[in-house]
Amino acid sequence: MKRLLGVALGILTAIGGFVDIGDLVTNAVVGSRFGLSLVWVVGVGVLGICLFANMSGRVAAASGRATFEVIRERLGPRAGLANLSASFLINLMTVTAEIGGVALALQLASSVHYLLWIPVAALAVWLVVWRVKFSIMENVTGLLGLTLIVFAVALFLLKPDWGSLAGQALAPAVPAEETVPTYWYYAIALFGAAMTPYEVFFFSSGAVEEGWSIRDLVQSRVNVLVGFPLGGLLSVAIAGCAAVVLLPAGIAVTSLSQVVLPVAEGGGKVGLAFVLVGLVAATFGAALETTLSSGYTLAQFFGWSWGKFRRPAQAARFHLAMIICLFIGLAVLATGVDPVLVTEYSVVFSAIALPLTYLPILIVANDPQYMGQHVNGRPVNVLAMVYLVIILAASLAAIPLMIVTGAGS
Amino acid sequence: MKPRRPLAPAPPVAGRLLDAQLHLLDRQVLDNDGVPVTTVDDLELSGPALDLELAPGTPAPVLTALLTGPVLGTRIFGGRPPSSRLIRIPWKDVSDVGVVLKLGVSGEHLDAGWVERWIRDKIIARIPGGRHDPR
Repeated sequence: MKRLLGVALGILTAIGGFVDIGDLVTNAVVGSRFGLSLVWVVGVGVLGICLFANMSGRVAAASGRATFEVIRERLGPRAGLANLSASFLINLMTVTAEIGGVALALQLASSVHYLLWIPVAALAVWLVVWRVKFSIMENVTGLLGLTLIVFAVALFLLKPDWGSLAGQALAPAVPAEETVPTYWYYAIALFGAAMTPYEVFFFSSGAVEEGWSIRDLVQSRVNVLVGFPLGGLLSVAIAGCAAVVLLPAGIAVTSLSQVVLPVAEGGGKVGLAFVLVGLVAATFGAALETTLSSGYTLAQFFGWSWGKFRRPAQAARFHLAMIICLFIGLAVLATGVDPVLVTEYSVVFSAIALPLTYLPILIVANDPQYMGQHVNGRPVNVLAMVYLVIILAASLAAIPLMIVTGAGS
Repeated sequence: MKPRRPLAPAPPVAGRLLDAQLHLLDRQVLDNDGVPVTTVDDLELSGPALDLELAPGTPAPVLTALLTGPVLGTRIFGGRPPSSRLIRIPWKDVSDVGVVLKLGVSGEHLDAGWVERWIRDKIIARIPGGRHDPR
């Protein structure tokens, strides 16, 4: 019974924790401009994150090694450092976007300007990282994030023309007012939002934090294989809401208030209350995960002592690194840069950096020295190779498309 | 350059064969309590200087220490810091080589841990809750 509860809790937190500011903004932007014609990308991205999160969890459980230790061991110091620099900077950008997202969500809830909320949000993130137990942190933000299901409820309450929505999703076509490069640019953005590398850093480090062994792998696999696809459905619901309300009105999403507009229209005040709780929980949860990920990547590359399961004094450099990262995020946001814009760039840069994370994991997951008998099976390797090609293509095409389309404008 | 003589066959060795690149470099080092100390940033070998002509019968170099600290920079960008600047973990302190290197001593008094201890004592432990056990 206790085990069953554990599985249920794991699945629920995986669903609630799947959506972050990148998914919220990108799905709403895409829904408001392209309808559901890019929904297939969410499917591809979700399958990919399931595959690689599962693999990194297995590496962590079998060898006790988290992702970035493995990256340095396999790539050596030079390529490892280049990888660290890219991954760390993109992660820092995501930290900034998530804290900005928390502040924007609090602004929606309180009408107090978001710049005033930013120090509050950053301080709250630090306090949780500093003090709260890992499993409590994961479960509370994950469960509260579940209130984002209100996007799916609102979609039903809006009584859309399901036939035309299904038509957009099943026979994807570039809308008349958009160009083909823009379509593909947003395809890459959606892919990057679904597969953000920090989720893999966080997932594998979390496995070490919670002391997973091979016996816990079944549960983690269920969490990932059930929770992430359901979280992906939430992403689709966000895009669907935008496609039903904003696309016909000709509103292209540029702010968080436009993201929640369809929920207010479909679900009224109650819906709005739920979505605000969900927004704060999802962005706050992701802010915690990305902040921890920045500490994890640095500590694992340099071999520092790390982890929330230790007292802060026993992982001093790890905690100092996270404090500095939060200050950098604060400084960037204090310039008044639009957090939604930071988010839109961060998901595309995430897509560019994907091969840096996923290739080393794939190599180590096939290394019997680390994995013993738990090396990848052939079907997993075939699928992973297919994904590696997709990831490389997305990574290489991202910058040219960004230039050609003027970052999707 | 002199014509090279064929190499003498490797002497028989007792125990495990370790490849420095594959099994030692860039591996995590844990102390006897399982606390991460550092990553192996470089290795120090005994023996004659690099540019000396080797006399026949010179004993093979022996691994003397794991190195850490700023030496990582020289491994990436080239060059070599003076010997006095190297931060060493003596090879005799290593108790096990696996997916990680385990030390038989506590990390608390190693030179390799001074930055961690400095940041702990000067900054982190002074923030309220810094010694709070999260579990």
